[in-house]
Amino acid sequence: MSILLVGLSHRSAPLEVRERHAVATSECGAVAEKLVQSSEIDEALVLSTCNRTELIASVRDSDLGAARLREFLLHEIGDGTLEPGQYYERVDGAAVEHVFRVAGSLDSMVLGEAQILGQVKQAYAAAARAQSVGPVLHRLLQRAFRCAKRMRTETGLGDASVSVARVGVQLAGELFESLAEKHVLLLGAGAMAESALHGLRDAGATSLVVVNRSRERARALAAQLGGRAAPLATLHDEVARSDVTLASAQVVEPLVRRRSLEPLLRQRHGRPLLIIDLGLPRNVESALAEVETLYLYDLDDLEAAARRGADARRTAIAPAERIVAQERRTFERWQSGLSAAEVLRDLVARGREIARTEAQRFAPPDAESEGERALERATQAAVAKLLHPALERVREEAEEGTGPYYSLALRELFRIGERPGSRPAGGEADLASRVSGIPRAEPVAGSRGGAAEPGAGKDGEDRED
Amino acid sequence: MTPWTHHGAALLYLLAAVIGGRKAATRPASRSFEWLLCGGVALHAIAFVRFHRLDPPISLESTAAALSVIGWLVASTFLLSLRFAKTLAVGRFVAASAFGFTAAASIGLHLRSSVALPGPAGAWPHAHVLLAAAGFAALAVASLAGLGYLVKERLLKARRRAAPELPSLESLDRLGVFALSLGFPLLTLGVFSGFVWALGAGGSLWTRHVVMSLVAWGVYCVPVGARLLRGQGGPRLARSLVVGFAVLAVCYLGTRALELVS
Repeated sequence: MSILLVGLSHRSAPLEVRERHAVATSECGAVAEKLVQSSEIDEALVLSTCNRTELIASVRDSDLGAARLREFLLHEIGDGTLEPGQYYERVDGAAVEHVFRVAGSLDSMVLGEAQILGQVKQAYAAAARAQSVGPVLHRLLQRAFRCAKRMRTETGLGDASVSVARVGVQLAGELFESLAEKHVLLLGAGAMAESALHGLRDAGATSLVVVNRSRERARALAAQLGGRAAPLATLHDEVARSDVTLASAQVVEPLVRRRSLEPLLRQRHGRPLLIIDLGLPRNVESALAEVETLYLYDLDDLEAAARRGADARRTAIAPAERIVAQERRTFERWQSGLSAAEVLRDLVARGREIARTEAQRFAPPDAESEGERALERATQAAVAKLLHPALERVREEAEEGTGPYYSLALRELFRIGERPGSRPAGGEADLASRVSGIPRAEPVAGSRGGAAEPGAGKDGEDRED
Repeated sequence: MTPWTHHGAALLYLLAAVIGGRKAATRPASRSFEWLLCGGVALHAIAFVRFHRLDPPISLESTAAALSVIGWLVASTFLLSLRFAKTLAVGRFVAASAFGFTAAASIGLHLRSSVALPGPAGAWPHAHVLLAAAGFAALAVASLAGLGYLVKERLLKARRRAAPELPSLESLDRLGVFALSLGFPLLTLGVFSGFVWALGAGGSLWTRHVVMSLVAWGVYCVPVGARLLRGQGGPRLARSLVVGFAVLAVCYLGTRALELVS
């Protein structure tokens, strides 16, 4: 049993390629359902966001499974134009690690962003509804959610803001418990201020006033954003009434003056006022920063905060990677236990079958049924005793984490899971490569070759096409 | 002999302060912190019941017992305030204060060095101690909120770094106002019941203790008046909460220290 991941992301493919291979969120469940209808795929999940499309599957034969996933991504989702190097494949531990890194946003375009975890959860929910996930992927995704949560709580990854607009929203959170009943004033109509305004509205701000030199422009923007327009002449009154002011007007000299605003602020009786000046030249007189209860931030302050946020997130990478490694080991221990249990069950069944067949074959034709049963019991006991040390050893090794090698050796030696007379795929070379961890000299065309992605696994399984 | 539950409560407050100080931002740590503080408050309440069952019982009118009541009320008031404001981040300071008061009370009860208050025992002494201690505890929480507000305000004004480990200014302001509106009436009732007690005891009304209590009460009239008349909040209110509690603490502890010495 293997876990496979085939996909493309912002790291491997440009936007136009990702667009051609995107799966609509509403279709992810159906696509996963279609995947598990293939005989090679036991469980499947499809993750598709604006930055990635990935097929994650649990399969019995990794080569056949990988070929099927590759074909599905290239020809059934895409139009067959995907070039080698624009997609990647991950097998077992590397696939597990990749899923954990994606869920924890270590593989995201903006490190530490929170959206991806919600998207992974959505993909899992869609696959669960389509009944395309089973015990393996269920366990994998539960561990991924746990891993992402640990990364956020234990490393602070995602705490700090890295965009100027987001820093503005975070600052508002430093002043106010909730933005639900707060008044927001938008002065001018710069793109950055609008972006910050959308952030504030997402955080709950509902009362919005737009002030602009052009009354028509102010009215249009207010109507678009669901607020009201106010004339420039009332600017200082509106600033004094607001809780958060976003300023980004094109000006030659500051519009908001200390002399005009300070007397009006006395009526606030200590209620804090946040002014975010995103204009260049500045819209707000810098002397206002000295006024008590007024918190003035300009572009330099916000950019410095965004830089500090980016630095803080970068320092969280190393501890986050350690969490990924820990969670990967935990998952692999569970997985090896699972595969060892499968091998043991199959081996015992094979032993019993052989004992029964041989007992029937060697029983004298005229023997009574009691004698035949005794012979079968004796043969069963001999087989059980013969297998016992091997079974015990596999059980012990499964707990130590080296179980997969023993499980694989038993599968190959006793030809478990094969149809009678068939040869195992890859034979001795395949076994040697898997046990040693060294890849086969001649991989199947289009699979598992090429350079490893930065920050990916170190065990030789982590390769991109 | 101090009940072990009292020491246990002090230990739980200490653990809450340590855990709250280490990782106040993480949810599991916050939950552990709340449970430890709740456990401390519950154990502390059991200790009060055991005070009365001891032979001889520990009177609540003694200084050590009053300190213990203050510690218990600081923790309880804070737990109650969590329902109104998201201020878990100041919890570590609250837990540390509760530990300080309870540990001091444990030592005082162990040494039996506290000075019994003058006059006959009865309802007024009990009412005075409980009301004054409750007011003291609530005002201690208010001053912690005020201190948090001033620290956060300074960091935000400096524009050098945000202070996400502290609650928002609005939360701290709300906590301060909540604790002040709880603490000031209790302190007023405490001062009033103290007067009645002193009158009943037949001693002089203008003792050091009474005068200092009136001074502290008068200092608190300033923020209360500003809040009631003008809705004053923000840094001015925060400053008056810190100054008010400093005066109250100096008056109360100073008077007690002088009584112990003399």
